[in-house]
Amino acid sequence: MSRFQRLLAWVRPPRQLSVTRLGWVYLVLTGGVGLGALNTGNNLLYLMLGLLLAVIVLSGVLSERALRDVRVRRLVPDGAFAGETFPLRYEVRREAGTAFALLLEERTAGLVARAFVPLVTMAEPVVVRADAVAKRRGPLRLGRMRVSTLFPLGLFEKSREFTLEDVLVVFPKKGFACEPDADVHGETRGDAGNPRHRDGTGDLLGLKELSPQEDARRVHWKKSAAVGKLLKTEHEREDRRQYTLSVDAKLSPDALDRACEEVAAMTRLLIGRGHEVGLEAGRRRLRPGAGLGQERRVLTALAWVGFDEGTRP
Amino acid sequence: MAKGRHRLRQRLRDVAAMAAFASAALSGALPAWVVATFGACWLLSLAGKRPFAARPALSAALLLVAALVLFGLAWRGVLDLLVAAGTFATLVTSQRMLAAPTRETDQQVLLASVLLLAGGAALSGEIWYAACLFLFGLSGSLALGLGIIEGPVETESWLPVRPVLAQLSLGMVFAIAGAIVFFVAFPRMSWNIASRRTGPGLLGGTAGMSDTVRLGGGGSIKTNARAVMRASLSPDPGVEQLERYWVGRVFDTFEGQEWRGHGTEGRLTARVKVGAMAWRETITQRIELLPAYESRTLVALETPITFDEAVGLTTSGSGPAMLAQLEGEEVHVATPANGYRYVAVSSEAAGPGPIEPIDRQRYLQLPRNLDPRVKALAERLKGSATTPKAIAVRLEEELRRRNAYTLELPGDVADPLADFLFVRKEGHCEHFASALTVMLRTLGIPARVAAGFFGGERAGGRYVLRAGDAHAWTQAWFEDEGWVRFDATPSDGRRRQTGSVLASLVSFYERLEEAWRRRVLDYSLIDQVNAVRTLVRPPPEARGTPKLSGLPSARSLGLGLFLAVATFLTVRRLGRAGPPRPHPAAGFLEAIERRLSDLGVHRLDGEPLEELSARLRTSQHPLAAPVSLAARRYLEARFGGRPLVPGEAPRLLAALARPPKSAPAAEPGAHF
Repeated sequence: MSRFQRLLAWVRPPRQLSVTRLGWVYLVLTGGVGLGALNTGNNLLYLMLGLLLAVIVLSGVLSERALRDVRVRRLVPDGAFAGETFPLRYEVRREAGTAFALLLEERTAGLVARAFVPLVTMAEPVVVRADAVAKRRGPLRLGRMRVSTLFPLGLFEKSREFTLEDVLVVFPKKGFACEPDADVHGETRGDAGNPRHRDGTGDLLGLKELSPQEDARRVHWKKSAAVGKLLKTEHEREDRRQYTLSVDAKLSPDALDRACEEVAAMTRLLIGRGHEVGLEAGRRRLRPGAGLGQERRVLTALAWVGFDEGTRP
Repeated sequence: MAKGRHRLRQRLRDVAAMAAFASAALSGALPAWVVATFGACWLLSLAGKRPFAARPALSAALLLVAALVLFGLAWRGVLDLLVAAGTFATLVTSQRMLAAPTRETDQQVLLASVLLLAGGAALSGEIWYAACLFLFGLSGSLALGLGIIEGPVETESWLPVRPVLAQLSLGMVFAIAGAIVFFVAFPRMSWNIASRRTGPGLLGGTAGMSDTVRLGGGGSIKTNARAVMRASLSPDPGVEQLERYWVGRVFDTFEGQEWRGHGTEGRLTARVKVGAMAWRETITQRIELLPAYESRTLVALETPITFDEAVGLTTSGSGPAMLAQLEGEEVHVATPANGYRYVAVSSEAAGPGPIEPIDRQRYLQLPRNLDPRVKALAERLKGSATTPKAIAVRLEEELRRRNAYTLELPGDVADPLADFLFVRKEGHCEHFASALTVMLRTLGIPARVAAGFFGGERAGGRYVLRAGDAHAWTQAWFEDEGWVRFDATPSDGRRRQTGSVLASLVSFYERLEEAWRRRVLDYSLIDQVNAVRTLVRPPPEARGTPKLSGLPSARSLGLGLFLAVATFLTVRRLGRAGPPRPHPAAGFLEAIERRLSDLGVHRLDGEPLEELSARLRTSQHPLAAPVSLAARRYLEARFGGRPLVPGEAPRLLAALARPPKSAPAAEPGAHF
């Protein structure tokens, strides 16, 4: 945080107050009653003015009590897809007293998240879920978040801000799917290129007598000893290929995003079909692998493409 | 669940709207059709009917038409502008109450109700206004608070209604206290000169001066405790009970049943002189005739000299009033108003002054059918007295001795005077005054009946006279002294007669109303200055030794310190709710354990509830299902952020209390 930012943080008031539409009308009415009281000297108008003003003070006191001892912890998920709703959870607790009607909002650019907590007591932390949406791919450094309340009467919205440092990895947006041209880009892996198609590494199909010049490593020695001739095992042929996808990290931001989305969709498609996928993106390299774990690794790597880890996106 | 919550919110909103409307309607200024319209709409809203929900455009158009009509009526002077504004606010509130029941609608209803409250403040001065104001504040804030905790999205889940109601109710108590502090402390920029005055109020007017004094019937007014007049005297007698006569008008013509006055109204003037000016022993009275008085006859201590500085108090403000003198000492206010303020100066000096001649024949007039026994009785009672004054004194004493005071009288009789003197021999002040006056006239002494009040009860530095203090007495004319008062009524019958429960209640209400008027309606900058002065420097009699310093007294400082500490501790206690309380679900767990223990199902050492539940399922225990359900709900409530809803815990525990009869008996030594 720069010196200027620290100065701004120091100067910033601890609470922000905004007037709602109901509050504006209420203030206008209060002003009218006040003018009427001053103009006429009608003591009942003074009494009413006193109550209207006291309600404003009451709003300030109760909203301050609601916000004062609140503590918030953000429970960040492993990752989220850009443009899609994902659950972002917060743990809200009180060190004293009770809070009503808290609205939690993220103040980080590029992330929309709102959660509402009707009641928090000091006896029990409350975990609340916000349906959050991150707009763009990348490592999103979460900082300030805002806790506000309209309690007690909805005349004013009082809020305070928390600084909670977290990093949310935002995967490329889903939906960029096109059929891959595997013959061009993919490489055969294992026995995928064997024309006999029964010497793969898949499930066991049966036993067959070993022909000359065939790989003796496939001999099933126990069965062969039982029947007195060499029998080999036949397995299903695996139709698995190995892909190494690449992204040019020097593209413009928008083009890079599109490229990442394409690669992510391709990764999801290929891994869904059982292939192995690797990645080359700038300095990042992932060896081909299969399974959901590999998909998550590729998506994470794609999220970081174009971003230095030490800078805010 | 949400439906019940919404219903509660709307009930509170409707109560707030009714309180606001009542504050304006109590003034009696709103037309009857407005009251009927609001009442009907309010009942429809209570019944959950929202006919305008589907027709917002139509209802808005109707409202617009009503606004135009009301504006037109106010423009042409047919309708008071404030009444028109109050009427329109009533219609807006009614229309919003019958619209679609959303939180925004609730807010609009309450905002329109604030307008109604302002109209009520301008139109009414009733003590009930305070009750309506605070009821509106409480129920309106609760309705708004319930709407706030429902959050930005409607939800069917449990919401903390009770904690919100508790905290808001407590908060509103502080707000009301703050409103009172503001009211007391905020400097008055206007000295209440343009405030509207109220009419006679809920109990109506009671004690106006009538044109006649009619004998017969009970003296019901003597039990009436309504305050009709307040007066501050200079010099101040300083006594709690003022034993003085306040005269309003006199009657000279008796027709057997009733007394009549006569005379025509003179020219209008700002100051009326009715008696000879005395340079010593005068008493100045600043008098306020309250709306309950309902008459234009001015009253002053006997014997009045001048009436001056009359001000009429109406619902549109206050202004100077013109006076008119009738023949004799009677003075009227020519300007109609709800109440009046004026200054009267009376002479307390006894003895002869400039005596003007009178029309003796008028004050010697007797009814044509006067019972001859009256004159005979007068002759007999005067005894050996020879001078007119001695005769009057003798007759006064004899009447007081022979006749008793009562308010229990039958209806009209043909000759009430003869009935009083010879048959019942009891009556009230009008009977005594009439009898003495007529008997004096039969003996050739000019006399007349005077009507007004007797007494005065000290309240806040002023004297309050009530309707029950109304009184009648006799004035006799002597050549060398002029008019001299004689009161044959026994002394215990002159004052207000109290006793009935109703009279006590009215008296209580009057005291409240008096305090309300004095402490609230008429509270002014002078009162504020006096209050501060009293707080900072106690009155001389309260100070033991002369104080040279201008600093606040130790009592004031102590009181202020005490209030500050009490406020601080209260706020601190509210903010810090004490030691951490156990989780609400913990009690539920203990209840489950007690119930299972009663049923012979025990947990192993360190066995969590979910493992016990699993063990019961494995062994196909008949309580497995309810225990599993209870365990799951406990875990959700304790750790999952789904608290138990009201009534859920007893229901789950009741399921645990009813094991089926086919349940296998637990094996000896087995732990379940």
